[in-house]
Amino acid sequence: MPDPQPLVRGIGLTKVYGNLVALKDADFTVMPGEVRALIGSNGAGKSTLVKILTGAIAPTLGTVEIAGKAAPLGDPSEMIRRRVSCIYQHSNLAPAMSVLDNIFLGRQPTGKFGFVDRGRQRREALALLERHGIDLDLDATVSNLPTVKQKEVEIMKALALDAQVILMDEPTGWLAASEVTKLHATVRMLKARGVGIVYISHMLDEVFAVCDTMTIMRDGKVIAESAVADIDRPRVVHLMVGEKLARESERAAHQKRHPRGTGEIRLRARNLTKRGVFQGVSFDLYAGEILCLTGLIGSKRTELVRTLFGADRFDSGTLEVEGQPVTFGTPARAISHGIGFVPEDRHRDGLMLDMTMTENLAMAMLDRFRRGLILGRNRMVEAGRRAISSLSIQPPDGTRPVKLLSGGNQQKVLVGKWLNRSPRILILDEPTVGIDVGAKAEIYGILRRERELGAAVLVVSSDLDEVMTVADRIGVMVSGRLAALHDADAVRMDEIVREIGEAAA
Amino acid sequence: MTIRPATAALVLFFAATLAFFSLSAPHFATATNFENLMSGFSFVAILAVGEAFPILVRGIDLSVGAIVGVVGMVVFDLTLVLHVPGYVILPVALAVGALAGALNGVLIVFLRLQPFIATLSTLAAYRGLTYSISGRQLVPGLTTTPIRDPWIVGIETYFDIGGWLGVSKFVTMPWFPLSFFIMLVVFAILQTAVLATRFGRDLYTVGGNYEAARLAGINTTRVIISAYAIAGFCAAITALIMVARFTTSTEALGTGMELTAIAAAVIGGVSLAGGIGSMFGPVVGAFLLGAVLLGLTLQGVPQFVQQIITGVILLAAVGYDRLLALRRQRRLALSLAEAT
Amino acid sequence: MSDDRKPNADRRNFLRTSMLGTAAIAGATSGLFARFDTSAGVPDISQARAQDARYKMAFIQWQPHTVPAAWSKGIEEVLGPQQIVDYELLDGQNKVEVQVSLMDTLINQGTSVIFLQPIDSVALAPSIAKAKRAGISVITLNIDATEPHAAHVEMNHYFGAIDIAKAMGDAMGGKGKVAILNAPPGIIIRDQRTDGFVDGLKQHHPGIQVVADQVADWDRKKAQDVLNTILAANPDLGGAYGVNDSMALGAVDVAKEKGLIGKFVVFGNDGEVAALESIEAGELTGTQYTDVYQQGRLAAAAATVVATGGVPATAFAQQSHLLMPYVIATKENVGTIQPSQRW
Repeated sequence: MPDPQPLVRGIGLTKVYGNLVALKDADFTVMPGEVRALIGSNGAGKSTLVKILTGAIAPTLGTVEIAGKAAPLGDPSEMIRRRVSCIYQHSNLAPAMSVLDNIFLGRQPTGKFGFVDRGRQRREALALLERHGIDLDLDATVSNLPTVKQKEVEIMKALALDAQVILMDEPTGWLAASEVTKLHATVRMLKARGVGIVYISHMLDEVFAVCDTMTIMRDGKVIAESAVADIDRPRVVHLMVGEKLARESERAAHQKRHPRGTGEIRLRARNLTKRGVFQGVSFDLYAGEILCLTGLIGSKRTELVRTLFGADRFDSGTLEVEGQPVTFGTPARAISHGIGFVPEDRHRDGLMLDMTMTENLAMAMLDRFRRGLILGRNRMVEAGRRAISSLSIQPPDGTRPVKLLSGGNQQKVLVGKWLNRSPRILILDEPTVGIDVGAKAEIYGILRRERELGAAVLVVSSDLDEVMTVADRIGVMVSGRLAALHDADAVRMDEIVREIGEAAA
Repeated sequence: MTIRPATAALVLFFAATLAFFSLSAPHFATATNFENLMSGFSFVAILAVGEAFPILVRGIDLSVGAIVGVVGMVVFDLTLVLHVPGYVILPVALAVGALAGALNGVLIVFLRLQPFIATLSTLAAYRGLTYSISGRQLVPGLTTTPIRDPWIVGIETYFDIGGWLGVSKFVTMPWFPLSFFIMLVVFAILQTAVLATRFGRDLYTVGGNYEAARLAGINTTRVIISAYAIAGFCAAITALIMVARFTTSTEALGTGMELTAIAAAVIGGVSLAGGIGSMFGPVVGAFLLGAVLLGLTLQGVPQFVQQIITGVILLAAVGYDRLLALRRQRRLALSLAEAT
Repeated sequence: MSDDRKPNADRRNFLRTSMLGTAAIAGATSGLFARFDTSAGVPDISQARAQDARYKMAFIQWQPHTVPAAWSKGIEEVLGPQQIVDYELLDGQNKVEVQVSLMDTLINQGTSVIFLQPIDSVALAPSIAKAKRAGISVITLNIDATEPHAAHVEMNHYFGAIDIAKAMGDAMGGKGKVAILNAPPGIIIRDQRTDGFVDGLKQHHPGIQVVADQVADWDRKKAQDVLNTILAANPDLGGAYGVNDSMALGAVDVAKEKGLIGKFVVFGNDGEVAALESIEAGELTGTQYTDVYQQGRLAAAAATVVATGGVPATAFAQQSHLLMPYVIATKENVGTIQPSQRW
């Protein structure tokens, strides 16, 4: 019998965004009836690869073949026509429309003159729900449904396409255990029908439970492929994180850790709750330590730290800074208490891209440069120069607009802006996303230096090797709860991975 | 079909307004006044229905008033300067309106201009075009020549429905203007299209979540350009009705009507965020505004106060919609908290 | 789950509001059956009213401006003492459809006389016809309409312009070049004032040449820009005629700037306060002054006759034109115009 033809084949896929290489020369194949996992840390290039395969974006180089024929790139309707469907991570539903209309989004069955055939639509939907054992109110408005149910609508939407290839991007992040089981049953059923499935997930348990093969990515490249049966978890983690960095993180693991730093509590959070977002979060942050808060996307870490900085409010609980109870209505008050915050999206929330480095570095402390009503230019430039040299920002030219810098240097400017104020507490949200390895190491050095100088540092990070490298203590958040808090030298990486993977039961 | 609570509230508010003015404004509850309401505001309702389409796809069209001006002047020139017969002028007028609207769509989709900016520019451009093609400035004497072509002037006709139905013995019925029936037809066709066809579903999808629509394979370009073309088409109908009513057109025809159309649509429950609303609300909204204006004039309320009141109604409508949305969000967050 | 609570709350809301609504609709439709006197708006009172008939009159202006404001004042002065007239001023907001809608409403209210400053002569004609059919007399001010109506009271645009041309030519010594600062085309009075001027020059001062006729939008600032351009092309220009006072004052501004006061002749048209003061100061050479208050009073007098004198609206076989007397105001005679006459 001749070799079966691959359902999907990506050949030499490359995607470059300006300076950043998101994907480099990736090959990817899915055979009929194969459930292939796509694994890698954040920034490894998984989402980019998925977006190319579904036509959401077009690659800079490379081709995609569906059922042996080259497919036009960057056109979602073409991919849908070729029966490639995807359950994306973010919501792809029309919130004001009904579940029924969303299941057939863009493809509602029509009769004469383009009138929607309501009867047929309903019959097909009911049959679909029946077949997969899912319970949904077809007439409910999607925006009124809880996220769990919305996820199910997304799944139904992908299945309704009767696709040959289904990509699932973190499909179980919102599902309870029983629903995960149902999803896996669906996956097996589709597999039995010859459908190819791409399963993108952090949850190694699930990967080992339901997938046949896996592709491991790191830093935009495909590092390894293997049958699930031929590999074990530690090896997978090793490949995800990279030999060199794994060894480095081993080495870093032997570095002196300073859990609880100098013993002086800078920030004390007790039972912080925000309805529907996070609940009962309690922890202490000490001077002279780096506490890393890790977890999945959606575990609400960003939402939590924004309330610590006064960018948002929490509903109940208490917050003490250096022994004094505080409520921050605005970031200005938090800043006056010595807190600095480096946000996740540096372009949107952190930097003034068209302004110069000097201006950005001075921004958080303009009042220090004020003489009466006028800004003391010279002092600003001088302070900027000092920051640039101490942070080794390249090129060392304070008059350069920040948008011309590389991602790593931009991040240094952003961090430098707050360091200029010598903060007592420094909070950073995903500080090294999209930054090359060299700059990452420099930033870690900066954080360690601050720690030595006695600051209390709180880092939110989804990057496990980063966490293992730099943390003195590690907190794991799951769906808005602080599930665990460890001293870094008392815990292993795969334990953390497991804790992260435990979905809300 | 499920009736949104907001729509029900609007209808009842409209009825309450009619009741209020019937009791407090002299001559309001008369056949003549209802006739004035229909003849003076049916074309506003048509413009509002057209304006609803760009708003549904999360855009806006500030140029519909200017399109009314352009089409009006085209009709004027064709009949009084070029002496083209009326049955040719009607389809040409509709085509001009649709094309003017489509141009807005093209600017928004292909040049990626924000709808506000794009239609603000075409507002100025179309108004300037109206002045430059104006037959009134080119040919002296036309400023005192009324249009007499029966195909055009015939649009301003009144029907004694009461007499036909034999009801006028018991009740004084208003005479119904043709523009009212035109409005009903436009409403019926567009409402059906929006609620029952795939085009309608696609429209709501594009407005509700543009990226989801794109990823679902919907031809978002075609949907958006169509939405703006429909707005232009309705503006053309509005222009024809107005030209028939006045037996002429002026360079300033339609100035400011876009704001009335947008207000009527928003009062009618069409959400500026896109993806929510139907044609029914704008129609009710337009007649609500008309009833308020007529009622206040009959009460002798000064006109600037009338404008303030209109603004308050608009604020209330927008505020009510936001309140509903906020309540929905809060309920959703609560249910999430309960689930975890 | 909280979803269960929603339908009940909505149902209650709906019931509550639908009861209100039913009552409302009942109230609204009862009017159509004319059980109570809808013209009074409240069921009962109006019996007493039938004794003394009151006349309703209203003025629909183009948009707020000194001229219609002065007309309205004049109208009120005449109608006020006649205790049986209710008068109100309505604003057309510079929109034809607003004026038409206001006409419809006034017809509905059983108005006796409507004063109208039409935004467009043709567009308001159907409304005037409708008013006539309803037995309402319409008196237009300054801008005529193509439908014959009870009276048209206008400033003497045409003949006044002839006299302006004569006076201007006299001031210029019978020869030279003049420019016309004009209104946008398409408005009757613009044509009347321009044709009058040109015909007047031909009649009285054929030696004077009109070298430019440019649009300055009735606006003083625009007139400055336009005249500057004309002067650049015609440095020996002897005078300018502004079809309204604002444009003429713009020409005066330019003359002052170039130090031409006394040599450069400027005439305006309308006779507003600013123009009269400029004449007294020796800057503006002259203007056609019409007592606008008097114009309003005259219109009101005609209205009173028509409303109470038993002359039906349809009795006018031909359009009557009442031309206002005017004065070509120059430095010599401007002092005769009393302060109370200035507007």
